[in-house]
Amino acid sequence: MADDLSINDSPNGLSHEDLVALRDGAVDGRPAGIPTSYDHGESIRWTPKDIADIHAMSRLGRYQIRGFTTANRRMANWNDLVFVPATATRLPLEGYRESCDTKTVLGDRPGLVSNPIELDIPIYIASMSFGALSASAKAALGRGASKVGTMTCSGEGGMLPEEREASKTMVYQMTPSRYGLDLEHLRQADGIEIVIGQGAKPGTGGLLLGMKISDRVARMRSLPVGVDQRSTVRHPDFLGADDLLIKIEELREATDYRIPIFVKLGATRPRFDVAMAAKVADVIVLDGAEGGTGASPELLLDHTGIPTMTAIPAAREALEESGMSGEVKLVAAGGIRNGTDAAKALALGADAVMIGTAALMALGCNSPRYLEDYQKIGTSPGKCHHCHTGRCPVGITTQDPFLETRLHVDPAADRVARYLTAMTMEITMLAKACGKSSVHNLEMEDLRALSLDSSALTGVKLAGVDRPFTW
Amino acid sequence: MTVVTVEVGDRPLRQINREIRALASTATEIVVTDPLSRHNLAVALTEDTPVRILGNVGYYCGGLNSGGVIHVEGDCGWGVGEAMARGKITIDGYAGMSVGASMRGGLIHIKGSAGPRCGVAQKGGDIVVEGNIGYLSGFMAHTGRIITLGDAGDATGDSLWEGAVWVAGDIKSLGVDSHPVEPPAEEVAEVEELLDGLGLADSTRDWKKVVSGQRLWYFESRDSSAWLMI
Ligand SMILES: Cc1cc2nc3c(=O)[nH]c(=O)nc-3n(C[C@H](O)[C@H](O)[C@H](O)COP(=O)(O)O)c2cc1C
Ligand code: SF4
Repeated sequence: MADDLSINDSPNGLSHEDLVALRDGAVDGRPAGIPTSYDHGESIRWTPKDIADIHAMSRLGRYQIRGFTTANRRMANWNDLVFVPATATRLPLEGYRESCDTKTVLGDRPGLVSNPIELDIPIYIASMSFGALSASAKAALGRGASKVGTMTCSGEGGMLPEEREASKTMVYQMTPSRYGLDLEHLRQADGIEIVIGQGAKPGTGGLLLGMKISDRVARMRSLPVGVDQRSTVRHPDFLGADDLLIKIEELREATDYRIPIFVKLGATRPRFDVAMAAKVADVIVLDGAEGGTGASPELLLDHTGIPTMTAIPAAREALEESGMSGEVKLVAAGGIRNGTDAAKALALGADAVMIGTAALMALGCNSPRYLEDYQKIGTSPGKCHHCHTGRCPVGITTQDPFLETRLHVDPAADRVARYLTAMTMEITMLAKACGKSSVHNLEMEDLRALSLDSSALTGVKLAGVDRPFTW
Repeated sequence: MTVVTVEVGDRPLRQINREIRALASTATEIVVTDPLSRHNLAVALTEDTPVRILGNVGYYCGGLNSGGVIHVEGDCGWGVGEAMARGKITIDGYAGMSVGASMRGGLIHIKGSAGPRCGVAQKGGDIVVEGNIGYLSGFMAHTGRIITLGDAGDATGDSLWEGAVWVAGDIKSLGVDSHPVEPPAEEVAEVEELLDGLGLADSTRDWKKVVSGQRLWYFESRDSSAWLMI
């Protein structure tokens, strides 16, 4: 459920649009087009959501849009994997005493880049644009990440001075739309990320609705104020892999081979896409179908891309097959909630993980405050997915100056820093139990799958029988 | 006058561009010889020292420039002057796809014709093409002017924001949500003044200015048929 169909825009009398919206004979609190307005019937096919979706489409004349993440319940679940720590045949490290290395280096392909990125932890903050996020949220993420020795990424909307100032290390994103792309900003960056796609909407460009195109956002993106921005998905000046290689050479020339080049892919055919990207990039960022977003057509969130958990082993195999494992680094993202999920991603083959939605929650997303403002947009804490409206009740995904005051930068930065610390502790706890002195030594053998599906989809051995489920 | 020569040939690109950048702060003119259609020549320049390239260049010549005055005595490949913020690029011959893609300022002057997607995602500055421009020119251009003295191809001005495609010749077909308007006299005067500066004055031109119909700027439920255009 996405658009704010509960908002009655002409309450007095019934206009043509009221009738289109099925308001005649309706009662307050049960507007058409919202699943909670319907009772569950017998059919598993025509659920309240399916009926509501048709009523919504027949009113809107277009697909629905929302933020947050997929609602597809069939996505492979991190909870279907467990760790099998060291016992008699492997030696654990002391979980409360011994150290476990968390240092993470990205872009250290031999002999190419003079300043690879060194992070103290294997987690960093995903690219989330200024525009999708408020400037305060960007600054808080930057300060929080810097406190624990990790980094942020600009996102589609150009380089925000507040974020650059707050972030000790920052990757600058080059999306197909190239909003505000600037030589000076490239040279201020510690890495450049070329976006080919993202997990929430692979194959489709960025989306930012008019409610969020404030004066400042419009200026940074060279857009008219208040338009519904739908960005391109193809880059304006390259098409295939050969051109991408030339484009990367240009970026390296512009930054004098100082900083690494990342390529971000939505997870669809990782075996082929990663093999291609490994030929040209220093770091590959693979964003699974669960990847969060500020706004996307709902159908793309729910029905495109493959789950992060299934994409990582395929990507690792592609790197192994192309002989680039260890040289080109793999960052995984999409649906990572905590250190346990992150540890599983590392064990499946990622060199680092990136978090978007979880970082917003550390900032206060979906926290039970300002309840009346959640209600105004037809939602409540715990089920809010309304980033696309720009009416974020807690000041994170908004450009409204009043709402933004609810995000207190320093305390929010502390929450992000503490959350990242806690996540890192969770990863090292699991790594040490598995006998690893570095989080990067986690491996597939440290995992077992609890279901046939998850074993078949990942290649992780099935619990008990100790064999991957194959056919 | 210190005119210095940088030889391209098959030398490493990194060395060539480093020399051009270093010389830009000392020489009065840099002459680049034997360019052999190499890609990424003279990118990311910040000094306004003239760079004269004697021959054809490949992709992204003058890309990301924030300054620089480049004169190519030949043809160029894709994305000449892409993302340029400031400066001037002159191409004596023909240009490939995506001239000035996403450029933010400065001037690109193509004496021949330009390929498809000329001025794609342009965010400022001017592109002047003496010949024709290819299909989808001005695609999603935000601001700035794409000016052709010749004809424009199919789907001209597709999905424009506030950019404009100025066509003196014929338009083969218009892109989605774009339409030609008769430009106001003062805007014509500004364009003619720009052209005059390039030695291309001619007050008899019959300008068509292609701009956005703004129907695709907003998701508009009550006009859902507009969305079937794309
Ligand atoms: C509010 C928000 C804004 C985002 N903006 C961008 C963006 O500008 N560019 C981009 O490549 N990805 C963007 N993303 C996707 C993230 O970079 C990342 O891939 C994703 O959030 C990872 O999944 P997770 O949210 O489950 O951690 C955004 C995500 C969110 C939640
Ligand atoms: S609380 Fe704000 S950031 Fe979180 S889902 Fe709702 S609108 Fe988005």
